[in-house]
Amino acid sequence: MSIPKEAYRVLESIVGSEFISEDPVDCEAHTPGPNGFETDLGIATIMKRPGCVIFPSTTEEVQKIVRTCNRYKIPFIPVSTQWWSGRGAPKVNDAILLDLKRMDCCEIDERHMYAVVGSGIIYSQLQEEAMKRGLYTTIPGGGSQVGVVANHILYGSSPLNYRTCIANRRILGVEWVLPSGEILRLGSLAFNKDDFLWGEGIGPDLRGLIRGFSPGWMGSMGIVTKMSVKLFPFQPDKPIPTGISPETALELPLSRMRWYNFIMPDKGAVVKAMYEIGKAEIAAGVTKVPLFWRAIAKANNKEEFWEIWDKESEESVAAMNVLRVLLIGFTSERQLEYEEGVLLDIMEELGGKQARTKPTDESWIKNADSAGMWMMCGGYTSLEFDFEAIDHAIEKGVDCSALKKDFTPPLMRAYGDQGWFQVGDFGHVALFEFLTYHDPDDEEIHKVDEWAIALAKLNINKRYYTAQLASHKPLFLTGPAYGPDYHKWMLRIKEEFDPNNLSNPPVPADYDMFVDEAEWMKEIKDW
Amino acid sequence: MPEEYVKLDVTDIDNFRYDMRRCVRCKGCKWVDHIYMPGSKFSTRCPSEKRYLFDSFSAWGRLRLALGLMDGQVNYSQRLVEAIYKCQLCGACDAGCKRNLDLEISSSLEALRIKCVNDGYGPMPEQKALAEKIEKEHNVFGAPSKNRAKWIKENKPVDETDIIYFVGCYASYKMPEISRATASILNASGRGFKLMGPDEYCCGYPLYSTGQMDKAKEVAEHNIESIENSGARTVVTSCAECYKTLKVDYPKMLGKSTSDMGYQVIHLVEFVEEQLGEGNIQFKNKLDLRLTYHDSCNLARMSEPWVYWEGKRGHFGLTEPTMPRRRGTYGLYGQPRDILKSIPGADLVEMVRIRENAWCCGAGGGVKEAFPDFAKWSADERLLEAKDVGAQALVTTCPRCKENFTNTIKASGDNMSVYDISELIGEAIK
Repeated sequence: MSIPKEAYRVLESIVGSEFISEDPVDCEAHTPGPNGFETDLGIATIMKRPGCVIFPSTTEEVQKIVRTCNRYKIPFIPVSTQWWSGRGAPKVNDAILLDLKRMDCCEIDERHMYAVVGSGIIYSQLQEEAMKRGLYTTIPGGGSQVGVVANHILYGSSPLNYRTCIANRRILGVEWVLPSGEILRLGSLAFNKDDFLWGEGIGPDLRGLIRGFSPGWMGSMGIVTKMSVKLFPFQPDKPIPTGISPETALELPLSRMRWYNFIMPDKGAVVKAMYEIGKAEIAAGVTKVPLFWRAIAKANNKEEFWEIWDKESEESVAAMNVLRVLLIGFTSERQLEYEEGVLLDIMEELGGKQARTKPTDESWIKNADSAGMWMMCGGYTSLEFDFEAIDHAIEKGVDCSALKKDFTPPLMRAYGDQGWFQVGDFGHVALFEFLTYHDPDDEEIHKVDEWAIALAKLNINKRYYTAQLASHKPLFLTGPAYGPDYHKWMLRIKEEFDPNNLSNPPVPADYDMFVDEAEWMKEIKDW
Repeated sequence: MPEEYVKLDVTDIDNFRYDMRRCVRCKGCKWVDHIYMPGSKFSTRCPSEKRYLFDSFSAWGRLRLALGLMDGQVNYSQRLVEAIYKCQLCGACDAGCKRNLDLEISSSLEALRIKCVNDGYGPMPEQKALAEKIEKEHNVFGAPSKNRAKWIKENKPVDETDIIYFVGCYASYKMPEISRATASILNASGRGFKLMGPDEYCCGYPLYSTGQMDKAKEVAEHNIESIENSGARTVVTSCAECYKTLKVDYPKMLGKSTSDMGYQVIHLVEFVEEQLGEGNIQFKNKLDLRLTYHDSCNLARMSEPWVYWEGKRGHFGLTEPTMPRRRGTYGLYGQPRDILKSIPGADLVEMVRIRENAWCCGAGGGVKEAFPDFAKWSADERLLEAKDVGAQALVTTCPRCKENFTNTIKASGDNMSVYDISELIGEAIK
């Protein structure tokens, strides 16, 4: 089967023959895998080659494509960078893949401090444009190469969320092609389609709907083609790029920006410091990173990484509590001086010893090396993350770490490392992320899928909040436990907006589909 | 986890299966290093992906297609062969990938072309025709090989020197301004130069880069023998393609390392930098010019010495012995810039995509021959960037870059000047 010829002709007339193809070569090249974010795991078994690839350039073209899909009952999936490969692959045959890379507008309203971006714009592009104007956004853990629009819908977490909150709360105006092909404009766009200034607009605020519950709708609720996002005032001295690949970094203007590393006596002191820094309302970022990131930073290649990392032990990892703090003198050099004074006072009180820090930024201001996560083992996935309280992150880190031992190998030996957590909103929330690494060619690779289920059950049993309800996890396992019955709500909303079920089916229940089809999951499916 | 035995040998594509399977589509091969990201304009590094949009024209897509071809999920077709050959092999993807993942992208793409030729589907007809010219007259123009040294005027070769000037096809037949300037510089330094004359064959870049391995190897073996017979130990080139081919691809073809070749290959810019340092040449003439420097891929990110490796790859992809990585870090970036900055009156202004992030001129990898429109389009993109920084002239170190830029400027009726660096050095030392 393939796309009906008549439908293909209609699509071709919308974008022009240069921007559409059903050639198997092009369709195969647009199929993610075999490696990537999730695509080395079980869910890849339900991924399909698209039946057609199309590149719209305007919202109107997207609308016409979606309407055509509805007329001919053809499923479609939108992608901007396709970085989250497992989510960016069709799960049904003969779907149309809309690649949104041509939608690359990036206009900044300097005075009102927001940017209007198309779905093809990535973070480092936006950050540079913002910084040219004395503004900034936050580069998320997903990496500098992720789409700004997609990431704002999803979550958008970064150590710099400490002051700015997560990205999905910084959405302003939205231009959204619904699964039916109608265009919905949110915020001030609702009454003036050129005015992206205001997020709330008139009437009900539907930004919650676009974000979904967990984490985003992954293309199953139509296509956001344009969005305005908040920017923030930066300090005036632009960091200077330096070095040659792979050793590139931003040279920080040290009178305005500095990273600090502290070795804390124990984990309790890390938590206390996080709260105290938040209470003092200082800093621009506060984070406790997994220890193996230090080994990554020191190593020249993966072989060296393992030489360094395998010298660690449960004891050495437990004893090493590193807290990283970023201070920025946003308003003046004196602000940084003041904040440094407060920070050092806090650290003195808590026994934090200042360690050496580079006068540069390799990650977070403009660059985030998420792709580097694949360097050590060849495979990586983030099967657990959430935004809750600092104490929640600590407790969950201990449990995740203990549970992980049952799945190591195939997971990388982590010597009890308890994950990555960082403070948001001046200590009012914390991001917790439990990163896991594996060799995609490991004979026991299916155990990584079992690990995902074990984590979901851990969350349910311990009543932990999780941001991964319907991605990497079966909706019908987590749904009844959260909400309650949030799965029913999600599916009902989806049905209401997408009666033909064409927008990236079977998301949000794609993980369930994989679990039902995979032989190795049958044994553990008890819900 | 079973270990596998692998070699950095492009004649067997299976050696790069791991690299193809480990691509995560982070698109480090597409974007300018994020630290250096210039904004929403000039933000990508791959001409092919930008021009043709489809993933089949990107490094990540080609790796996927190569795997599909090896595993029988994809068949040869006109579209596939075009996807394989509409690429300059400029190495931007390779340097970008090695920012994070250390995958052997360039070698994978070379291996794919070699497979394509061995399977009877490559190269493109125009590239085949060029190979015939090389076979017949040992140069890319099919010009009589006896005329190779006809460019010589006042600066003549000498017998008593350990330097051989490997002139290259373009400077020998089409751009004598480069060979004459280079000869004048070599003589001005007091070191002098020898020539291989008719024994100099095309370096073989057009053959190697289009996957015509057997023919490339024949040429390489001939040139290596001629260099050895000359008794010279230093080979100077004024062409970035020749430089990279002699320094990197010859040992690569022969299963050796650059350090095992018995001769040293240097580009004119390395020679001049050294001679300036030693005071053997001085820049006397003033050149009032606002110029920008274009990093030729083959002198820059592609030019690190080749280190042959074979060994085991095991769990987590760990190699034993540790595989050497060529990441483009040590390309010749500083020398040409230092030289240009030393010329009195020359005002060097940088484009936004430089060094390992530079945008290719568009001519390499057989593209100029098989897809001239694409070559022109790529050059246009680069010239836009040069204009954006207000440059009056663009300087390069490769005759092929010079030709592609010059033709593109001519076609668009623009007025930017293009120089090979040898011309400016030659003028400055007069």
